[in-house]
Amino acid sequence: MSALREEFSKWMSDNLCGDYECLRGRATPGDEDAFPGMRLKWEREMGEAGWIGVSWPKEYGGRGASLDDIVGFNEEYAAHGGPGRAGHIGETLLAPTIIAFGTEEQKAKYLPGIKAGTEFWCQGYSEPNAGSDLSNIKTKAQLKNDQWIIEGQKIWTSLAMDSDYIFVIARAEEGSVGRHGLVFLLVKLDQPGIEIRPIKQMSGTAEFNEVFFGGAVCGEKDIIGGVGEGWKIAMALLGFERGASTLGQQMTFADEFRQIVELAKKNGASRDPLIRQRIAKAYAGLKIMRFTALRTLEAAETGELTKEGYISKIYWASWHRDLGELAMDVMGVSAEILEEGEYNKLQKLFLFSRSDTIYGGTNQIQRNIIAERALGMPKEPRGGGTVIKG
Amino acid sequence: MTYPFTDDHDMIRDAARGFLQAWYDGGKGPERVYQSGTAFDGAAWQSFAKELGMAGIAISEEHEGAGLGDLGRVVVMEELGASLCAIPFLTTCGIVTDIIQTAGEATAKNRYLKKIAAGELSAAYCDGHDAAAKVVSHVVHAAEADLIVLSGRGEGGIDYFAIPKGTAGLKITPEKTMDPTRSFAAVDWNDVAKGNLIPIGYGSEDQHEKLITQSFTALAAECVGGAQKCLDMTLEYAGQRVQFGRPIASFQAIKHRCADMFILIEAARSAVYAAAMAAPEDNTEAALIAKAYATDAFFKVAGDAIQMHGGIGFTWDYPLHFFFKRARANRSMFGSSERDYDRLAGHIFGDAA
Repeated sequence: MSALREEFSKWMSDNLCGDYECLRGRATPGDEDAFPGMRLKWEREMGEAGWIGVSWPKEYGGRGASLDDIVGFNEEYAAHGGPGRAGHIGETLLAPTIIAFGTEEQKAKYLPGIKAGTEFWCQGYSEPNAGSDLSNIKTKAQLKNDQWIIEGQKIWTSLAMDSDYIFVIARAEEGSVGRHGLVFLLVKLDQPGIEIRPIKQMSGTAEFNEVFFGGAVCGEKDIIGGVGEGWKIAMALLGFERGASTLGQQMTFADEFRQIVELAKKNGASRDPLIRQRIAKAYAGLKIMRFTALRTLEAAETGELTKEGYISKIYWASWHRDLGELAMDVMGVSAEILEEGEYNKLQKLFLFSRSDTIYGGTNQIQRNIIAERALGMPKEPRGGGTVIKG
Repeated sequence: MTYPFTDDHDMIRDAARGFLQAWYDGGKGPERVYQSGTAFDGAAWQSFAKELGMAGIAISEEHEGAGLGDLGRVVVMEELGASLCAIPFLTTCGIVTDIIQTAGEATAKNRYLKKIAAGELSAAYCDGHDAAAKVVSHVVHAAEADLIVLSGRGEGGIDYFAIPKGTAGLKITPEKTMDPTRSFAAVDWNDVAKGNLIPIGYGSEDQHEKLITQSFTALAAECVGGAQKCLDMTLEYAGQRVQFGRPIASFQAIKHRCADMFILIEAARSAVYAAAMAAPEDNTEAALIAKAYATDAFFKVAGDAIQMHGGIGFTWDYPLHFFFKRARANRSMFGSSERDYDRLAGHIFGDAA
């Protein structure tokens, strides 16, 4: 175990206890509304101890952690039952984007709050008519008197309710289409021009929100990159998720899997040969997921872009959805019964995992991406009226 | 050089691929073997094992092999899968090498490993310890092997014996196979005098099972190589075949199915590499997963490849059917994937029979 990993493991043991005990294993997808106040307090606790931004370069207050350390950090967090992170969008997506493309002023203004665990960010990408076809952005940003004035709507915004800021891609050039003419804005949420409405999901909870912009404002300098570079910045931001956190996610999956195995032992489903086959396949899938992530990460360490990384999203999403179905089949008819009027953990898993194959690029879009980028097959028509010929 | 491989592995891969794709020759290689009716190409074995020095890949340097272990063997097996070259590498350099290296006595090691590494000895493994009638059918590569390694039940464990080809009383009857590039034969040792069974080693039942399972990884690697070849052929064909005025590769019905093939292949590859990387004393579970997943994936991919080629994929002249038949054969070698998953379930629930 590396020194950083060991240090973090000890810190988790010493700190995820007492008042925070209730957070253990909570706030996972489908359980996002668990203890909101305590979770924000927990983020501050992590920030104070220096555990936010360990992968950032040292000059920005990070520890410049190596890949092994980042993997170890994520695995320890999951192994100790660390709750779903409220600050991961700021820490792992926006901060690296600011470090790479932002001005010195922006670095000084935004990084400290993220690092301290006191300022939270959400992501304003999707719109009602810009889902899989993300470049079909209609939200407008107009520069007037040193301010950007924003009109439009974002949707499927995770954790907007708990956030302080939103980064938004909007159309800055009148008449532009597709990936052209966009701008990447940094916007404070607490202002009169913004309204947030939670979306109640089939899991009964509300991780996602609608965010309405009616004359919302941000300063002229609160943009990353130039006008017309919004798409480039938006895509670069997604590229910073290198997959190290998926190893932590997989430990959460492993916990869910173990719970299903225990239940099957207890209720006798483990004697059903068909259930046994499915349990074994789920186990194999989890091991395969882990080694695929290691292949991608190890290659990235040596600066190589390998192709198997393209299967990551569709593989884990489909695996997790199947696990939810397996969980219900192991429960049998008791899957239909609510204990104490609430969904239990496996029922939440079953219901929430239906979104796994939709958000972050549907399975269908993932197949397009694999066919085009990994296999070099002809491209689908793109937004902005350009049809790319096969 | 891409994780988990080193420059040594890359050199081996280039050499193996160069030779084996020349042998494959757009499908003419497997067809020639089919025409010969023997499911074995002796000249190819000679060149590959002896001249290219591939047979010693997993044999330790002490016995004049390359010492590249499971991972080295995976590289070669992937290339063999992509060419369907009809040579007894899997049994000689896989299972028999493992038996001798792990359970063999020093004399057996000295006598056989150097010869195998030099490409001077081919071998097949006959799973004989439950065969009271002293006949076992469907023994892979037994027809052409210079040496049969036989397992027998000893006191509290498994004894291994060597029976060289030509031993008095040894009857080997080749079987006609659906996959014409892999030979099977029935081995009958009823008339072999007891003194002519050369003892070469010993292992407990558990050790034996571990040994056999270890060679699952090599079979799984062959599946990955075969499946990759099927996908490559499909991509090439779909890019050229024009219908409705467009290459069919531009239709999502085709693109998405190719994407699914890629997902299966890369997942299988991960499973195989993980098994090859696992420590030999602790690789049973990883090898089970690799074989179960990769044999299923190869079969699915080969079938899909035929579907996406349309009518031409169904013809004998187009070589896809050879891969489909190999994929089918690999599903039953060492037992089915269902049995592997059942064993795995036994580990998971801790109630293995």
